[in-house]
Amino acid sequence: MALRSLRKISVFSVLFFGLVATVYAGEKGQKDLYAPVYTEPLTSKSLKDPISSLIELPFKLIKWPMDKGLAFTEEHRLDKKAKWLYQRATEEGVKPLFGGSETTLIPFYGAEFNLMALTKQKEKYPDLIATTTILHGPKSFFLVGSELGAQQIFGGGHVSGFFQYDVREKELFYGIGPKSSRGDGTSYKMKTTQVGTVAGFSFSPTIDLSGVFSYKSVGITNRAYDGLGDIRNSFVSKNIPGLNGEDLLNYEMVLNRDTRDSQDQATKGSYQRLSFKFTDGTGSSSARYFTYLLDAAKYFQLASPRRIFVARFFTEFNQEINHGNVPFFEMVKLGSSGTFPLRSQTSRAYGYNRFYGNGAMLLNLEYRYTVMQYKEFKLNTALFVDEGQIFNDFGKICMKYFRESYGAGFYLSYTKNTLLAFSVAHGNEGTRFYLDNKIAF
Amino acid sequence: MDKGMKQKMNGKKIWFGVVLGIFWGWILSSGAILLADESIKFKQNETTFYRDLFDQSLYYEGVNQLDFGRWGRKLFGKASPSQNVNIFDEVPDSGFFTNRQGRERLSPEALEKGYQETPGPYLSRPLQVIAAEQRGIYPRFWVKDARGDEYLMEFDPQGNMELVTGAETIASRFYYALGYNVPQFTILSIKPDQFQVAPEATTWEDTGFNKTLSQKRFEEYLMVLPQNNEGLYRASTCKVMKGDYHGTFSFESRKKNDSTDIVNHRDRREIRALGIFAAWLNHYDLRESNTLDISIEENGQIVTKHYLADFNGALGSMQEGPKKPMLGYEHTIDYEETFKSVLALGFREKPWQKKWRLTDKKIPTSPAVGYFTNELFDPARYKTEFPYEAFRRVTRADGAWAAKLLMSFSDEDIRAMVKAGQYSDAKDADTIAKTLIERRDIIARYWLSRANPLDKFSFSGERLSFKDLTVEHGFASKEGTVYHIEVMSAGRKEKVVQFETKEPAFNIQPEWIPANGEAKILLRVRRASTEKTSPAVTVLLNAAGVQGIHRED
Repeated sequence: MALRSLRKISVFSVLFFGLVATVYAGEKGQKDLYAPVYTEPLTSKSLKDPISSLIELPFKLIKWPMDKGLAFTEEHRLDKKAKWLYQRATEEGVKPLFGGSETTLIPFYGAEFNLMALTKQKEKYPDLIATTTILHGPKSFFLVGSELGAQQIFGGGHVSGFFQYDVREKELFYGIGPKSSRGDGTSYKMKTTQVGTVAGFSFSPTIDLSGVFSYKSVGITNRAYDGLGDIRNSFVSKNIPGLNGEDLLNYEMVLNRDTRDSQDQATKGSYQRLSFKFTDGTGSSSARYFTYLLDAAKYFQLASPRRIFVARFFTEFNQEINHGNVPFFEMVKLGSSGTFPLRSQTSRAYGYNRFYGNGAMLLNLEYRYTVMQYKEFKLNTALFVDEGQIFNDFGKICMKYFRESYGAGFYLSYTKNTLLAFSVAHGNEGTRFYLDNKIAF
Repeated sequence: MDKGMKQKMNGKKIWFGVVLGIFWGWILSSGAILLADESIKFKQNETTFYRDLFDQSLYYEGVNQLDFGRWGRKLFGKASPSQNVNIFDEVPDSGFFTNRQGRERLSPEALEKGYQETPGPYLSRPLQVIAAEQRGIYPRFWVKDARGDEYLMEFDPQGNMELVTGAETIASRFYYALGYNVPQFTILSIKPDQFQVAPEATTWEDTGFNKTLSQKRFEEYLMVLPQNNEGLYRASTCKVMKGDYHGTFSFESRKKNDSTDIVNHRDRREIRALGIFAAWLNHYDLRESNTLDISIEENGQIVTKHYLADFNGALGSMQEGPKKPMLGYEHTIDYEETFKSVLALGFREKPWQKKWRLTDKKIPTSPAVGYFTNELFDPARYKTEFPYEAFRRVTRADGAWAAKLLMSFSDEDIRAMVKAGQYSDAKDADTIAKTLIERRDIIARYWLSRANPLDKFSFSGERLSFKDLTVEHGFASKEGTVYHIEVMSAGRKEKVVQFETKEPAFNIQPEWIPANGEAKILLRVRRASTEKTSPAVTVLLNAAGVQGIHRED
């Protein structure tokens, strides 16, 4: 009421003084060009017409709590507190980890514990490694890993022992080979326990050669995923090796070379991973095979760091020896975005673990270009083609079995760390969308 | 009606009376309090960087697309005129704006001085540090001087001595001379021993926690700050205003509970023109969260004033160091630029990217100046941190008003205001002044070429004369310029006469002016160089002189 009166008084005052000013100026014969004299009285108007205001109404219900929340966050420096907590935890040896999971909408979370930092021994023994990782993706996976070892031995040598326990709740299986059908979807639960040792030498900061020996015990439980069938029933006529799990011994040599400027958002350089592995089943297992693997990618700058062309080639082949076989869960898999914690290779128009086989050949071509840059934030657009094929024998590689995906994505990063990656891919089995906080390569 | 029922009714009446009494009591008492206090009480409006980011870059960018009126204006090319211009197409003084340089040219001394209540912190005793805040690695302090005045001190980053402090002080001079309210900014060189940490002092650490400010922590803060050859710290000191703080003000809407705030802010010409002045001063972080609403006592009355408050993002500076190359060219989230780049498949070089490439990815000016040049500067494309609708609503008439105000600053005036930056190397002040002079001309040329540039109308009784600002400032030659005049009838529907003249003056025939009315004269400009005719300016004229001016939007 009082405010309304005040408003009336002020409007009246403006008009009155305007009139007085006009009369006064007229008398003097000289006008004040800045006098508050208007062609019509100032009135308060609404910002929008009634219909537009009505349309905006539901959005205002979102704006209010957002505004309050953001103001509260800034006023109480919650953003700075969160950043400090993350940095402090990392310095103290606890690195929080989180990300998207393909098999469920719920993100995974966990932490990597640097035991040397936690026990305040890092400065005293800088070359000792003692880490433990715990990750949990609700309804998806649970992983505990640990590594204990030393690095910088005689310059570049390193040796460590590792342990890993990994439970996969929703592994999908559609059959073996390039002709499998999406309609044959089955599922299984896999529990893997692995212990081993790694010894190697880093010839330079970019080249490392390592030997790995490990023992792996895999337990399989069929029909883990609601609504999907049982492998034993769906593939009753097929010989699916490893359906009851396996105990395996692995002997592996790995050569790694990595010259990228960033592992997450590389703009130049390349990486190559060459691996040769021999796997031998123990006990009643009939597994016995060699695995040859090459994973290589090169990042080309097209006359500007704003334009990057990435070519990635991946091939893996498991060669059965002495009438041994390759357990189905150890086969090469194609499908989905290929980001951690998935073990299926990048073939984005197809679902996770869509194709299983003894061998695979995959070519990922991706053109990334920067469309927005603001201070340290960068938004890249990506156009990609994935061309891959699963095969059981080199002789059976056939053009018609190549499966292609093509699509586009947007990758938002801050200081070369991916914050958000959204992509959409299309292929002959439909269209798939991805939202994650990392990219595959 | 039985007795019980009557008693019930009476009871209800009593309760109703009590409630009504309380209600009227509350109304009257609040009125009495209002009058007794003589202060203006209204809801505090508080915005922050994140809120500004969400509101401007996400919310309004989205919901404005659902505004039929906005689409209608876009489709039919209809401008939205400013609501607070007077009959002479000028902006009257208000709590937002005071005509200073526009009304009467200020002296070089006044321009250099800017808004000043005191000469700066009084150093007869060490300054009491009452609070601090760490932003990144650099701190800022709130201090109290021997007179009891409080100041906010901001410093330069390492390697860029004079950059932030100079930019902040200079920009405050420009905004003040233009007509906006700004707090007092002065530059202070100070020794470390002229500080004393107050016992109750606290600090917001960069960790986000508020802690007691110890002497040791204060000394750690000082260690990261650059010192000059004499061991002095250089700070820009902003005097903390005395008054009631009401948060920030919106560039969009009026404060509904403030009876003096009648016009929506986006329809205030001085708010719209802020986008143009920000382009001049390269003030990319001009945003709502850097404003203040304060009720202060002025001439014995309590008035609410709207202040611009933070200028460390002006000229070649930003808080952390030299300005990043994209600032001023893109909003924080710029849909238009991003969309264009997506479509161009990475083969579109944005203007800032080209400019940065041409400078070999190095800042071409000194560390004290930062990144402030006019290469590839486009006044139509300058973008502040957030996309305010008010800045997009600038009409040709608003632009002409801003251009006229810009051109009211002579080169010497600009140099006088730059002098306030107190640069140790005269070349730095010269670089900044030259860039501002050049940019003033670029902006004014742009707007005056789009609007009607005729101004300063005067009527001697038989001759109407005016100035062509474009010719006056050398943006167009007098030769080849023709003024097209239309005199309308009393009913203003028919042309009485139309003619053309090459001179900025012409005779008014007595019969053109109605006995009890005004002549309406429309003036347009045509230049041989462009072959385009400008929008019209309408002059209302009677025997007493010019009665009104209206520029076509």
